[in-house]
Amino acid sequence: MVLLPVQSLLADYAVISNERSGNLVFMDEQGETLDVVALCARPRGMAQRSSDNTLFVACSDDDRVVEFDLATREPRRFYDGLPGAMSLDLHEPTQRLLLSNEGTAQATVLDTESGEILARLPTGLEPDGVAFSDDGGLIFVASENAGIVHVFDGVTYAPVTQLLTNLRPRRMAIREQELWVSSEMGSRVEIFDLERLVKTDEIIFAPRGFRSERLTPVDILFDHTGALAFVALGSANHVAVIDAESREIQKYILVGRRPWGLGITADGDRLFVLNGLSDDVTIIDPGKLRPVRTTRTGLVPHAVEIVH
Amino acid sequence: MSRVLCAWLLTLFLPLSVVAAEFEITILTSDSEDRQHDGRSFAGIVVQPHRPVLRAVELAVFESEALLKTLGMSARVDVHELDANAELLPQLQRVPASSLVILDLPLDVMERVVEPANELGLVTFNVRHSDAYLREEVCLPGLFHTIPSDNMYFDALGQFLVHRGWRRVLLVRGASERDQQRAATLVRSIRKFGASVVEERVFTLSHHPDDRDRNQPDFLTGGVSYDVVAVIDSNKDYGRYLQYSTRSPRPVVGDIGLEPRSWHFALERYGAPQLNERYRQFKSDAVIAEPATMTDAEFAAWAAVKLVSNSLTARVENETGGIATFNLSELLNDPDTQVDLYKGTRGSVRQWNNQLRQPVLLATSDAVIAIAPMPKFLHPKHYVDTLGLDEPESSCQLR
Repeated sequence: MVLLPVQSLLADYAVISNERSGNLVFMDEQGETLDVVALCARPRGMAQRSSDNTLFVACSDDDRVVEFDLATREPRRFYDGLPGAMSLDLHEPTQRLLLSNEGTAQATVLDTESGEILARLPTGLEPDGVAFSDDGGLIFVASENAGIVHVFDGVTYAPVTQLLTNLRPRRMAIREQELWVSSEMGSRVEIFDLERLVKTDEIIFAPRGFRSERLTPVDILFDHTGALAFVALGSANHVAVIDAESREIQKYILVGRRPWGLGITADGDRLFVLNGLSDDVTIIDPGKLRPVRTTRTGLVPHAVEIVH
Repeated sequence: MSRVLCAWLLTLFLPLSVVAAEFEITILTSDSEDRQHDGRSFAGIVVQPHRPVLRAVELAVFESEALLKTLGMSARVDVHELDANAELLPQLQRVPASSLVILDLPLDVMERVVEPANELGLVTFNVRHSDAYLREEVCLPGLFHTIPSDNMYFDALGQFLVHRGWRRVLLVRGASERDQQRAATLVRSIRKFGASVVEERVFTLSHHPDDRDRNQPDFLTGGVSYDVVAVIDSNKDYGRYLQYSTRSPRPVVGDIGLEPRSWHFALERYGAPQLNERYRQFKSDAVIAEPATMTDAEFAAWAAVKLVSNSLTARVENETGGIATFNLSELLNDPDTQVDLYKGTRGSVRQWNNQLRQPVLLATSDAVIAIAPMPKFLHPKHYVDTLGLDEPESSCQLR
């Protein structure tokens, strides 16, 4: 989870990683492209360190993570030997970066200061989503193939337990004492209690007129208050807006083709939805629950970070 | 087999308990006459090398290990070689009744195996044969099909043709009974979606000079107007020579050219590259012919195992955190049983004929051109049920 600082004077902007074109697209809140920076082979997951304008980008086909300076818009440092680096999460208080290694059935914990690898965590096949608990005491890694969220101790890195999920768990998000996990092929989000590490609830997506198999949720994102959850529904070409407390689905918003990546501005005024197959981004006004604009990105946009 | 004998067999050979914490998989193979000719075309050229499904099964077991371990379970794979010349029943009686049985058999042997296996209460999977009659006429409660039916394959093709606007089809087929049957299925699919067959022409295989003239591609595809040539040539004897030789410059689809497939090494989406790479690198005792990519039969065998392992989580008991009972037929008869197929849409079992529902790829030798169902072909219940015989159309009504 990325904690955004208090509102600064500058407006927010979005940074979008594009898998196929290998670049970062910088975009303002209105959807105007500010800059395009060529970066690496298959940039995917990203994480931000707001204290010093740093963006970490997983360059999957280069087997590395790039530490990117948002001020100069240039790479500052490379962390190599990270095969198939895919999703990232930064625990800012301890400066540890957690990442999944897609092809090798493991996740890696990296000390971003020393550059040392602190742990290699064995997982089921095709690890994707990763998350630190807020206090850094637990580490979660979702194995798509196994249908398992592996839980590790955030200090000793010993396995704690495995949470069994529905088909193809992809991404995770934490809200208070809850871990939300999207099950891409199970067409649902499963909710686990962080204290007891058991499943407590699930939200099944079933908008009227859709065939269930077409609802393939991936990214989950909470707004700045934690009251609303947004879930990108992949093949259904919609984003679900959920009242996080009551679990009630408020609306399905039509976006582009195969939305996966989500990002929201600090003030909660703009939601960015990346449409991986139509190579564009849909910007949504969460207040009105309506799309404002859809505009071009690079090819196969994967993840978006909102910078302040 | 008479009902009395059947009941007798059931009491005699069903084990006392079918509950197992072990996931047993038995692959039945057989070296029959048919197999010797399998994949060999008229001139003796091997165009469809035979590949046992063992490697794909082992891969599926390997993939399932993390979950099985979590559940305190283990898996075992056994291969039983059937002697097709001997009586089959005693051989089938040696197969553990609680195991998932994968029929890696030539059609003639499989035909003789499925009924006695069903009467023994075995849960069997057809992973090799797309023939419609195995679903429609044989139609056994213990026999599942993870390989698509010809109806599914050809419906995918029919949708693609209509999607592309290639509605006038010249059908070229072999003279064998199998080609004739499969061609009938193709015609049905072509018409189902609004395309039409402008003419049906038959090639023959012989060294007779008259045939040689009649089989000239130029002649066989001449004198008629069409958008596309569809070929049914199960043994790939003749059709290979049609592409680039048709009288009119038209694409060739069917058993040659653009083929409906259930799996492909070049599928770029839905996690498929991970599965293909895993298969390529997988260390197995099962030697496979190049290229190291799953055939449809191998994918079907992989899917059979994954169908079970993907559905175990739903059977975990909250109190124990483990699986108390593991009954294959019960699991497979559950309409909620599902599998992640790496094709963008989860698979499940059609309750009426035990066919695995799944998307079908339309592919050339090195590219996936489209994935059916094609846009705008909609089904009221299941996304992929525009492919194959739907419940009201099927003569098989198991559940």
